[in-house]
Amino acid sequence: MTDVAQLATSLRRGTLEFCVLAMVEREDIYGTEIVRRLGEERSLATTEGTIYPLLSRLRRVGWLDSKWSESPAGPPRRYYSLTDGGRAALESFRTEWTSFRQTVDRLVGTGGA
Amino acid sequence: MSSINKIDVVGEYLREVDLRLSGLPLLQRHELLADLRAHIDTAREQGAYTDSEMIEVLQRLGSPEAIAAAAYWEAGPQPPRSQPAPPPPPSAPPSGSGGGVPVWLIVTLASVAAMLVLGALFGFLALARVGGAPAPATAVVDAPAVPDAPDVVPEPRPTE
Repeated sequence: MTDVAQLATSLRRGTLEFCVLAMVEREDIYGTEIVRRLGEERSLATTEGTIYPLLSRLRRVGWLDSKWSESPAGPPRRYYSLTDGGRAALESFRTEWTSFRQTVDRLVGTGGA
Repeated sequence: MSSINKIDVVGEYLREVDLRLSGLPLLQRHELLADLRAHIDTAREQGAYTDSEMIEVLQRLGSPEAIAAAAYWEAGPQPPRSQPAPPPPPSAPPSGSGGGVPVWLIVTLASVAAMLVLGALFGFLALARVGGAPAPATAVVDAPAVPDAPDVVPEPRPTE
């Protein structure tokens, strides 16, 4: 069980942030919504609260921008948007990931038919 | 009643998280707490009314240890201080007091109103007693004073 959790953590590191970037690629989304959508992905096995520090870092490195916005009925929401830097990072990840995945698939034998 | 308990559960949780963040830069620490608070407020607004529902929300958020560990991991070894400060979150704190009317003012107004209402009630009671006093006195003497009493007593009530 611990090994499985450890593997999930290792795989998540370095990839989860691009899932976040892709999520806000076309529309601004508020933090809680990002956190929930990722939390619903079973195989990512994320703990919701750990996403907020990730969002914080992505903002500090300049890949995400955020602004607080009043919601019609409820608490204020923090909306995230992709910066130009974030967009470039996402594009280079896509290229990198495709060849990375193909290599791993070939070496591990998970390439399928 | 239940809302008081809910606040306690949430407050305790946030305190536990905060306790573990003392090694983080102040801004990041405050920011994370504001994010968690907004998350919880959103969940509450969207239907997490009972304590058990709120506890479920907190469990999904994760243990304070897990959140703090992620915060340190993402903060890196030593965040550079000379970075251009991101637009500070002063827009976050106002969320609490953003309603416009301070809590103390509401409380004060409410208590003044309560005193006025009570005063009016006592006034009426006093009037009723003054008006009603003679009636019982005669009622003790002549038993058939019943018609008098209804005349005197009901009067103050409709006027209120």
